[in-house]
Amino acid sequence: MSFTRWLRRLAPLMVCLVLLVTACSSAPSKYDQVQEDTTGFRAPAAVDKKAEKGGTFNQFFPDDQGGYDVIPYQEKKGFAEYKLEQNGTTMAMLTINDTASLPSAAEKFSSATETVEGFPSVDQGSTATALLVNGRYQVKVLSRDPSFTQSDRVAWLQKFDLQGLAQLQGAANPAVNTAQTPAAAAPAQKKPGFKLPRMQIPRPDPILQPAS
Amino acid sequence: MSKKIYEIVDKLPTGGLTVRALKTLDNVVPGQWNNLVGFDHTIKTVTGETDEAMVKAIGERAIALFNDKKQGYQSALWLYQTVDSASGALGAAALANRIGQDTFLGFLKNLTPKPEKAQTIDLVVKLVAEVVAFCKISGIPGDSLGDFLAALGDYGSESLIRMAALVSFDGIIPLGADFSLKALNAIKGFSPGDIDGNQTFKGIKDEIPGANDGAKLSFMTETFESTKGWMDKFVGDHNITQSGLVDNLGGFIEGSKGKLDYLGAFLDMSVKYYEHTGTQTLARRLIERAVAEI
Repeated sequence: MSFTRWLRRLAPLMVCLVLLVTACSSAPSKYDQVQEDTTGFRAPAAVDKKAEKGGTFNQFFPDDQGGYDVIPYQEKKGFAEYKLEQNGTTMAMLTINDTASLPSAAEKFSSATETVEGFPSVDQGSTATALLVNGRYQVKVLSRDPSFTQSDRVAWLQKFDLQGLAQLQGAANPAVNTAQTPAAAAPAQKKPGFKLPRMQIPRPDPILQPAS
Repeated sequence: MSKKIYEIVDKLPTGGLTVRALKTLDNVVPGQWNNLVGFDHTIKTVTGETDEAMVKAIGERAIALFNDKKQGYQSALWLYQTVDSASGALGAAALANRIGQDTFLGFLKNLTPKPEKAQTIDLVVKLVAEVVAFCKISGIPGDSLGDFLAALGDYGSESLIRMAALVSFDGIIPLGADFSLKALNAIKGFSPGDIDGNQTFKGIKDEIPGANDGAKLSFMTETFESTKGWMDKFVGDHNITQSGLVDNLGGFIEGSKGKLDYLGAFLDMSVKYYEHTGTQTLARRLIERAVAEI
């Protein structure tokens, strides 16, 4: 009798164990869902076809100034990133991205209470401050050194050519939301010290193309 | 089944021959590399972010970007993995060749390339793989060739240690102090037929720019020639010598002194430093993009 009783108690345990061993070759992860959603035939592209070329954004980044070096770092479709260094130490990252690929990135600005240069601005997490131009282009400064504070981030956001970026008509998608362009935005006027157009040197080799 | 980037980063080893060999390079470039493993840990370390919801959001965007094949991250990872495993096969071939010289198995010499020639091709192919993988991961940043070179030259942490390992394990140890000149002279004298049978080259040849083997060889030669100055300066600045490297490695590879071709072959077979640090570089850049885009 007692053997049957034990067996009865053990059976569900055994079934669970067998299921565990066979069903889960690896431990479940909080990322399994996104992995499933972004793989397979029907997976959406991570970057929208209409996203601006990353190189388009280069002209709107600040130049080296005040003991800081601004160094090119990444350039992918819809995204460009520069590193902000001081005496060889990375203080922050400066980025512009096209939220056409990720509308939720733009949506967070709908509840913004702050503005920078007239553009809606939010703090994100503990290291990032961002603003949104034309409801589409996100400009972000991310601290990488503890001494680079939120007010430093805001100061560097102001050093971007935001008015120039606001003039950018989405190459493939001109339907930009002009409502978020600041009323004060004058037609693109060259500021004193506005950077000269960079010389276009042919790319190192036509075969050295980025993947996207 | 697609590869899961978060699992790959979670499973990066914290010990073993690859990590130990890389750590010996701490004498060469002190303090540059800490073995960053674990997907969430990498997110927190790279971004400085501690908020768990933010970490998850960054991770999810990074995974989506990795899984989109058009973004190039998967083929960059493939390059780092393949160049290591193909050169591992080369290591085995080189070892067989060495054995062939010492024993009755002389016939093996007919099957395997001369170690020095094979090592030269290996070194050059790995350098080319680095440039191609860089472009796949980071694009071609900036507006000019100067900007691009500035970005390429701005190597730190795992990327710098990978270059230190390339110069040390695939350059100085098997080929000697004048490895760069030796390799450049050698590759300039190669014909497409010389590289065609090489395992490392065959492993990644589809990713090397150029319509045919001849064009690929000239791309490789140009890449090596334009990077030679950087490598020589790196060796000089960090005072890297063959004996110094062997002393450091001797700590865990017994009896390696005086048998440098064996040591080179052994490192080739057992040390996967391209895959290890390449995965770390890829994860870092992917995360840096993800945190900016969300």
